[in-house]
Amino acid sequence: MRVLHYVNQFYAGLGGEDSAGIGPRMLEGTVGPGRLLAQLLGAEHEIVATLVCGDDHAASNATAAQELLEMARDAGAEVLVAGPAFGSGRYGLACARLVAAAQSAGLPALASMHPDNPGISDAGEAPVIASGATAREMRPSVQRLAAAVVKVAAGEELTPADGKVTPAARIGQLVTQRSAARAVELVLRRLGGDREATEVPVGGFGVVEPAAPIDKAASVTVALVTEGAVVPAGNPDRLESARATRWLRYPIDGVDSLASGEWESVAGGFATTAANADPNRLVPLDAARTLEREGTIGRLHEEFLVTVGNGTPVATARRFGVEWAAELRKAGVQAAILTAT
Amino acid sequence: MPVLRRMVHEVHSIEIGAATQYEQHQLMVGRDQAEALFADPALASVRVHVAAPGDRARIVAPLDVVEPRTKGSAGGVFPGWMAPVNRPRGGDTHVLRGAAVLAAGYLPRNQEGLIDMSGPAAERSPFGRTNNVVVEFDRADEATWQEAEVALRRGLLRLAVHLADAATSAEPDTIEELAPPHRPGTPTGGLPRVGVITNLQTQGAFKDVFVYGRSMTGSLPTLFDPVEVEDGAVVSGQYGHPALRNPTYVHQNHPVIAELRARDGQDLCFAGMVLCPEPVAQADKELVSTHAAWLCRAASFDAVIVTKEGAGNADNDLMLKVDALEADGLTAVALYAELSGADGTGPPLVAGPRSGAVVSTGNYDQRIKLPAVDRAIGGAQLRIADADATAAVEIPTAAILSALSPLGAGWLTCRAEQELADQKLVGQMLGGTA
Repeated sequence: MRVLHYVNQFYAGLGGEDSAGIGPRMLEGTVGPGRLLAQLLGAEHEIVATLVCGDDHAASNATAAQELLEMARDAGAEVLVAGPAFGSGRYGLACARLVAAAQSAGLPALASMHPDNPGISDAGEAPVIASGATAREMRPSVQRLAAAVVKVAAGEELTPADGKVTPAARIGQLVTQRSAARAVELVLRRLGGDREATEVPVGGFGVVEPAAPIDKAASVTVALVTEGAVVPAGNPDRLESARATRWLRYPIDGVDSLASGEWESVAGGFATTAANADPNRLVPLDAARTLEREGTIGRLHEEFLVTVGNGTPVATARRFGVEWAAELRKAGVQAAILTAT
Repeated sequence: MPVLRRMVHEVHSIEIGAATQYEQHQLMVGRDQAEALFADPALASVRVHVAAPGDRARIVAPLDVVEPRTKGSAGGVFPGWMAPVNRPRGGDTHVLRGAAVLAAGYLPRNQEGLIDMSGPAAERSPFGRTNNVVVEFDRADEATWQEAEVALRRGLLRLAVHLADAATSAEPDTIEELAPPHRPGTPTGGLPRVGVITNLQTQGAFKDVFVYGRSMTGSLPTLFDPVEVEDGAVVSGQYGHPALRNPTYVHQNHPVIAELRARDGQDLCFAGMVLCPEPVAQADKELVSTHAAWLCRAASFDAVIVTKEGAGNADNDLMLKVDALEADGLTAVALYAELSGADGTGPPLVAGPRSGAVVSTGNYDQRIKLPAVDRAIGGAQLRIADADATAAVEIPTAAILSALSPLGAGWLTCRAEQELADQKLVGQMLGGTA
């Protein structure tokens, strides 16, 4: 079968972060991990071309997936394969969106990434095959992917045994023992030496290392971003008050301060009276403008990005983070102030 | 010190009548007597209703719930509200078990919830199983909502005492002994010393809980006498997330204390309790968590069950304590309601401990269909469902009062789909219908 393979700019050998803004393009034959994939696919399947897009462009541009899909169609793709993206957020998002677009257009497609990749929820109906967390696990990840590609090409269904990532639903149910009694049982089991005993799996909360300090703040562009749900009064774009499914952007060019009555917080998790009396306390535009005038920071980015953190699932928030990072990098922003509630 | 006793009088049926009386497990609520207990300049009027298990009735926007209790004419329950804190201790407490008094209706910052007296919501709330005296109210025009809320709280406590007073001369169905925790250094026969930390929400008006009549805002955690909690030293004025609320009733019957006491001397040694505020600033959360763990160590706890109230903010308090305890070498278990989305596939935890264990009290987001009912108390509309209060509705579990009880009073949990499928398979192999 004719296979098209998608990789990001780094694995295509087109450069690192400096090239993350490049748009969709197609290269002949295989590059990078595609060579190993081609070898493992054997003679029955041929990777006819490699699709490439910069991570920032793919993560911040809604039409990128569609453009790539059209290129794949033009090249006569019968199967589309993306990744492995490992734990890389923007790359994972790009892979997920591409295979989702392909699958819904009737082109069999599958992606490879780590199950914790923030992009995974965007894969839609397309299967995602689990990869390792980093490129150190390239070989076993590509081996697993190749086996899955062969199965898909043969028209077979993928299962968790193939490494297919499936959302594991946790179902609520009534039990005879109330929670307090179960808590006592659990304490006794743990004291008895069963250190793995728990009803809800714990762990999986990564620690975010702070970025290195900025050398010359006076020359950088700084963005204001918030999960405090600050929107124009009346909430014209209907941002949710909890459990956000999306984020919004609002221009602040030429604005010195967020006037009370013109802006409001629609967050549902706290009493917004004080925030609405002075919205600058959630998005510190007034203070940032002062720093900009004094020359402490170079320039303030022309818009602020906003969502609501209240009850928003970690997976969704991580995806927003990936999208925001790509968005701001593309706009030349070097630092962001994230205000949280 | 003598062991305190609880005289338990079971209530099997409830009705409204001319005068309050308790006889043969039947509770008659004197309408005028009950309403007079809410006389307050902040309340224009109140109306007393009853709702019993099995009734096709829905209580909309329930507020606090209290279990009827009294120590007789000498008083002594609800210290800080109905009695001085330095009252003579001891004496028997009379309890109307199976009865509850509650207020229902609009209050600012009360997140609207419900109690159904029959159907699936009744199975999920501790208050779908009690004979309820429900008080509707109208705020006086000149009063603030805060004044109305204080008046309601005082009224509910007075009504709880008034109803239990009717049973003081009745023969109790059972007598419960409230053994105090074992002091540090007491020989345990090798059993582990297990205690409880109970976090109380402290977020200002309508989101506060009172200890001896005072908010814990700004306080450090404190060791506390569990018997005092059972005497009503902790009273709720907290109206956030209905399913994640700890009404006064649940503190009076603190489920973790009850379960620890039930196994005291068999599997464990009941070591005591720590009460702790839930401050809103991260540094304060870290401070009280560190200090709470220190208190547990100082009181020679080997293991601790940690409880919370609310969500989000409160989850951070919960998990910081689990981490602080485990870092100190104590075994910690948290009670927590999962937030894994309507289909249960989202990540269940909002904040996670580095180690320790978590008991699931259910999924906040799981939706549930409720049948129509014949009557509603507390309001004519169910705003969360945009429906008539008596209509058939579909709501998240989050709206059912105390269904996800962070104090462990509920019967919900969550299990992984795969685990359930395996159980079913095993059930089929054994010829059962699991």
